[in-house]
Amino acid sequence: MPIVELQNIRKVYDTKVAVEGLSLAIEPGTMFGLLGPNGSGKTSTIRMMIGMTVPDSGSVRLFGQPFQRSLLGRVGYLPEERGLYKKMKVLDQLVFLGQLHGLDETTARKRALGWCERMEIVEAIGKKTEELSKGMQQKIQFIAALLHEPELIIMDEPFSGLDPVNAELLMRTLIELRSDGKAVLFSTHRMDQVEKLCDAIAIIYRGRLVLSGSMREVKGRYTRNRVQAVFTGSDAFLRHPSVLQANNYAGVAEITLTASEQAQEVLAAAIANGTQFQRFEVIEPTLEDIFIETVKATAEYAEDGGRVDA
Amino acid sequence: MHNVWLIARREYMERVRTKGFLLATILIPCAMAALIAGSSYLMARTKTNSHIAIVTSDKQLGEDLKSKLENGKHSEMQVDLWKPSEMSRASLNAQLHNSGSKLAGYLWIAEPTQAGARPTFEYHARSAGDVSTEDSIESSVDAVVSREGLLKRGLSAQEIDTITAPVDIDTSSSGNMRVAFFVAYFFFFLMYMVIMLYGMNTARSIIEEKTSRVFEVLLATITPDQLLAGKILGVGAVGLTQILVWMVAALVLASTPYAAGLMGGGAAQAPVSVAQTLYFLLYFVFGFLLYSSIAASLGAMTNSEQELQQLNLFLVVPLAFCMVMVFTIVKAPDSVLARVVSLIPFCSPLLMNFRTSLTYVAPWEIVLSIVLMTLTILGVIWVSSRIYRVGILMYGKKPNLPEILRWLRYS
Repeated sequence: MPIVELQNIRKVYDTKVAVEGLSLAIEPGTMFGLLGPNGSGKTSTIRMMIGMTVPDSGSVRLFGQPFQRSLLGRVGYLPEERGLYKKMKVLDQLVFLGQLHGLDETTARKRALGWCERMEIVEAIGKKTEELSKGMQQKIQFIAALLHEPELIIMDEPFSGLDPVNAELLMRTLIELRSDGKAVLFSTHRMDQVEKLCDAIAIIYRGRLVLSGSMREVKGRYTRNRVQAVFTGSDAFLRHPSVLQANNYAGVAEITLTASEQAQEVLAAAIANGTQFQRFEVIEPTLEDIFIETVKATAEYAEDGGRVDA
Repeated sequence: MHNVWLIARREYMERVRTKGFLLATILIPCAMAALIAGSSYLMARTKTNSHIAIVTSDKQLGEDLKSKLENGKHSEMQVDLWKPSEMSRASLNAQLHNSGSKLAGYLWIAEPTQAGARPTFEYHARSAGDVSTEDSIESSVDAVVSREGLLKRGLSAQEIDTITAPVDIDTSSSGNMRVAFFVAYFFFFLMYMVIMLYGMNTARSIIEEKTSRVFEVLLATITPDQLLAGKILGVGAVGLTQILVWMVAALVLASTPYAAGLMGGGAAQAPVSVAQTLYFLLYFVFGFLLYSSIAASLGAMTNSEQELQQLNLFLVVPLAFCMVMVFTIVKAPDSVLARVVSLIPFCSPLLMNFRTSLTYVAPWEIVLSIVLMTLTILGVIWVSSRIYRVGILMYGKKPNLPEILRWLRYS
């Protein structure tokens, strides 16, 4: 039973189509990445998932039931635009938000303290929010989304604005939550993060789903025909008939082959020719490559004049 | 309902804990006390005590005027009597232009040119703006001249006293009208002030979530109408708390002998009846909720304090309209106009309450006004919560009227 199931949802604001014919499903225990350039409809999609707006057509199902507000107690949400009450003390704030999610005061307080420890911000507990750094505020907001132990965690751009150390801490926490069997959905336009974290992805562009599936599946659809080589000696192998295209940056070459199985042949030919390799690696297409390729293939991309602000 | 309560409680606790609330709660009664003390001090001194001169050849008239002005009801002037001559005129004029002299002016009484006609009076003042001295002189001259006229026509001094004694109209059968009127006025202004003050606070507190961007977290669990209702109740409770503190302070002040002496003996028995207080509280609560919900819709439409200032008008205009209507209602509290106007939901809290303290208002009118207000409050909250949600989620800008109308149809 999928935790979230969107079926053919559509949302139009005035004349702008925000989301069009989008369907996707998120299984329990998955880390799901919702990708797309800015303004492609990620936030609109998320808002429809949690009933902040209602789709014009199509259906939203949460935990196997048609959407209803009472299910929101099982969802944790971190919005893209972070916000906390500036004048409130951190602990009061967390307790208040916990109570709004249906916890009683004692439980909320206990869990808030536990999480502050886990997120390494114990010293902030008694302070007012406005006295804290941006990163700290973000962690508090992160905690606020998790206090009620939701089964579905939705995070809109969770890593934006975090330094690498804190981003790492957050990623680790998300992975732990996933191993506890919770479904985590996050949106981002940073492909490198998704690649490491996600089990499944969906790419949306201009309100439409252009690609979705498990990470392995998505990557499997694209041929492994790229090679990165670090070498000394003759570069004659770059002109091998199986090489479609090659860029040589003084001993570091990026090669695109006509087919993935040609790699061994090219390597053998090069070694026979006396070229010395420090590295010869057949690389998977990165998600970024896939993303750009997919988006470029859409009709809307051509309409857009060939720009992607990913 | 639980969510509304949580929002309201947070709002209340956060506001009551601020230094601003503490300061306002303590300082305003202090200012009130200072004002009462100050005005009573001034009141004691408002008898005209200027120094003037009266120039007349009629000794009797001069003496009468002098005694009237020196020991009158409203004046404690110092009066010199002069004989008319060119020299005295010159000397008095010189004194008027000399800043060292205390002379405020002189009254020149010229003998009538024909027998039986009145003398002519001419007042020369140092300052053209000294109205109170002028008024005292005028009323004293009036009194003295008519008294002399009556004396000349052969009436005895005693008869004249009887004729000119002030009339005292007995209004005790309908309660002390003057006190009732002032109490009604006082309640009216108190309500007006509090609505202005706390209405805007409600609007501000709704903008708070927008500027701090907390609304998105909140809206993930609660609905906009719960948020708005919680805000209105929370800020309202703060207002009520403050008013209760002030009321208690006022009662303590009023029970001191000092204040009782100030109001005069008539106010010694409670000027406010129980019914009046209950009506006040009832209409206060409804008025507050109504105007707060209007303020909430203003807050829902705007994103910053500056934008809110521009829309302030929508809160002020209905209140100003009530102010204008007060004058009509005072004259005829039972007229059709008064009855209709006091049923308009935006006016009921002020005007119906005002009417209840002036006249007998039929129970059905009161019930109807409360039903209408309740419906209006719910309607305004419903509309504002839609504007709020659609506005912040879609554009983050101030909508114009056609946009607002279109938003109301969105789900």
